[in-house]
Amino acid sequence: MDNPARIDRRAGLAGGAVIAVLFLVILVPGVRQLGVGVLSVLDASYVRSALRLTVPIAFAGMGGIFAEKSGVINIGLEGLLIVAAFSAIAVLWWLGGTTGALALAFLAAVLASTAIALLFAVVCIDFKADQIIAGLAVWLIALGFAPFGSIIIWETVNSPSVGTFDPLALPVLVEIPFLGPALFRSTPPVYLLLLAVPFSWYLLNRTTFGKHLQASGEDPKTLDTAGISVRKVRYAGVLISGVYCGLGGAGLALNAGQFIGGGETITAGRGWIGITTYLLANYNPVGAFGASVFFAGLDALQLQLQRVGGVEISSTLVGILPYVAVLVILGFVGKTRMPGAAGEHYESED
Amino acid sequence: MSGQDGPSMRDSGGSKYAVRMDGITKRFPGVVANDDVDFAVERGTVHALVGENGAGKTTLMNVLYGLYEPTEGTVYVDGRPREFDSPRDAIDAGVGMIHQHFMLVDPMTVAENLVLGVEPTKWFGLVTDEAQAVADTRELAERYGFDIDPTERVQEISVGEQQRVEILKALYRGAEVLVLDEPTAVLTPQEVESLFAVFEELVAEGKTIVFITHKLGEALTAADDISVLRDGRLVGTVRAGETTREELATMMVGREVLLEVTSEPADRGPETLAVDDLVVTDDRGVRAVDGVSFAVQAGEVFGVAGVDGNGQSELVEAVTGLRQPESGAVTLAGEEITHDSRRERIEAGVSYIAEDRQHRSLVLEYDLLRNGLLGGQTLPEFSDGRLIDWGRTRSFVERVIEEYDVRPPDASASARSLSGGNQQKMVVGREFERDPVLMVASHPTRGVDIGSIEFVHNRLLDLRTEGVAVLLVSSKLEEVQRLADRMAVMYDGRFVDVVDPDAVTEEEVGLLMAGEYPDDYERGEGEKRATTEDRPTDTANID
Repeated sequence: MDNPARIDRRAGLAGGAVIAVLFLVILVPGVRQLGVGVLSVLDASYVRSALRLTVPIAFAGMGGIFAEKSGVINIGLEGLLIVAAFSAIAVLWWLGGTTGALALAFLAAVLASTAIALLFAVVCIDFKADQIIAGLAVWLIALGFAPFGSIIIWETVNSPSVGTFDPLALPVLVEIPFLGPALFRSTPPVYLLLLAVPFSWYLLNRTTFGKHLQASGEDPKTLDTAGISVRKVRYAGVLISGVYCGLGGAGLALNAGQFIGGGETITAGRGWIGITTYLLANYNPVGAFGASVFFAGLDALQLQLQRVGGVEISSTLVGILPYVAVLVILGFVGKTRMPGAAGEHYESED
Repeated sequence: MSGQDGPSMRDSGGSKYAVRMDGITKRFPGVVANDDVDFAVERGTVHALVGENGAGKTTLMNVLYGLYEPTEGTVYVDGRPREFDSPRDAIDAGVGMIHQHFMLVDPMTVAENLVLGVEPTKWFGLVTDEAQAVADTRELAERYGFDIDPTERVQEISVGEQQRVEILKALYRGAEVLVLDEPTAVLTPQEVESLFAVFEELVAEGKTIVFITHKLGEALTAADDISVLRDGRLVGTVRAGETTREELATMMVGREVLLEVTSEPADRGPETLAVDDLVVTDDRGVRAVDGVSFAVQAGEVFGVAGVDGNGQSELVEAVTGLRQPESGAVTLAGEEITHDSRRERIEAGVSYIAEDRQHRSLVLEYDLLRNGLLGGQTLPEFSDGRLIDWGRTRSFVERVIEEYDVRPPDASASARSLSGGNQQKMVVGREFERDPVLMVASHPTRGVDIGSIEFVHNRLLDLRTEGVAVLLVSSKLEEVQRLADRMAVMYDGRFVDVVDPDAVTEEEVGLLMAGEYPDDYERGEGEKRATTEDRPTDTANID
């Protein structure tokens, strides 16, 4: 019998190879134009901007893991990000751009996103709505409501610039060569993300709550018979996804300093990419973070190349990469395994 | 009730009986599943509960386990009356149930499953103490001599091992009485043997075991006492050492006189269905049908009797085209159809009454018009190949509704709104009126009221008179005996024997259904298969 760990590694290698090939196909033209100068753009400021772009993707991805592990597929992550981004900017604009206001705006965004997630949980868990349809509704409502709110407040779909988080250099750590300026001169949402990754992993894999979450998504009846309320566990899973999307959406908006309501809004599909990251990582938050860094890194690279070398790489092309990668992984590598009861309603017999 | 108990009965732990159920009656709408059952299990013994399907065994155990509340009667555990609202109350009182479908989370480890919901924790209850969980599991497993690795995932261990994890899970929660619902149904013969060894270990530790089975041999081997249920009533409780298979079979099947056959045998025509050395595996990859051969002539009802789960479903699915056999051949009127699709078989005249009408025969949301067409959408009567002829469909469905007395007589009513009996009449009518060559009827009267049973039986016999070959599968022995011209008894994937239903006694059939041959029994025509000497080879076939 094959050792499961070895299968995992093999699958991981195959997936990695596929992504690397895709990466080259997209980047080779740019690299050729740039010649040897390619390495010069990969400096500390590049890493910082990549990490900033990682914030919404990784938070959405990790949040999605909590919901789906509990058995509720939350495809409304994108909508929650939009709600959070809009709330953060609206509150900040209303309060004026002081430091205390930034923290309040951040908090308000998390609350707003969590409130919508609560609504989603009620509809899906207590009223047994179809999770996919309810999730789409969250996204579509957010997609319509946020620009509408913008027009009411600012008379245009885009808000004015209202202020951003300043980079916060961590003493001592920032002195480490390269790593210091790359990691430890970031904005608070980035630090929060770096803390949230190991925290999420630990919560899922080591705590009693994590075990119950897993059982709830795999075999709710067994969990119920063991005396644990599936309903409560699922509520917790969905609410965590709301909190995480709140952090991600607020981080995104407060790094940019404004809300953009046109088109697919400022989130630009990052919630959807978040879903692809956890599918690629087979519901491991560390892996989802890694995939987020990779996709955000490509996005940042595309921007950086434009800025430094005047090289045009189609951002649309970079944008489809996550989806192509997830199709390849799901279709050909097949390592991702959804929780057994994800998407299914559970009714306790008591 | 408590007045009947001596003072010692109420003493905690002083009762002779670990479990006593007094006058248990459980009614469901229209059905009495348990009728005034008095059932008692002595502490530290293995007690088998036997009976035919539908005799009320599982209902009785679900009452004990708190899944059902009894309509009347009292449950005593340890001599004290108990009222269980949920399985959790039962486990708190020391009664643990091991269901046929295991309550285990497959991707989690053995230890994680064992402690689920009652985890040993550290750091103020936030974190599962996994080392402790693994140590607890290992200790418990060693105490009962189970060879189980606590860190393996449940999905990677065998079914027999999973069952032991379930047993350990109940023990970990403090179960003193273990109730197992047909624990041997999913096991290989070797695993059955080691399960019985586990029973001995558990009893030696002072535990009490109740297990449900319909296999008499197992009850006699593993149990100290055997209680027999029939039609919801307790026929009696006997000591395993003081009874015989014959006695148990008589108790189990009963002595009711069979209903008289209402019609004369029809003229037999040519051989319509021939099944040759058919091997079919079930969803788990186990051989469910293990080399079955038989033939059915036109104008003949060929019955297959047996306890559910002995391969009848897979046999029917292979004949109707719902499951591909591993090997062997199915021939319809001289043409081999082994690999034909279900649609091709419908077009060739194979009608099918499925055992689960709601899943296989009807789309509950559809109205009767569309349900009446279902499966026949490619037949020339209803379709020109591209479009459905709804006018002809409607007149067909209306004829079925009238002739088969489907109520309400409304083609636009949804199938869901009909009672079970009327749903079945609709299915029976649809399948019968398509002028089949072969009629495969699987449990055609399951869950149907008495009136509709008579109706379905008479229509089946009419069909025989019309010269259709009928393959009838049922776990109701009486039904097969009444209708069949020849009757095969199926056990463990094989035909134990093919007999003349009028020439055998219920006791003999009861034993055959349990895979045993009665003493001084002369076999019928079915000597093609399965002698007792064959048994070791067939165990080797099961993986």
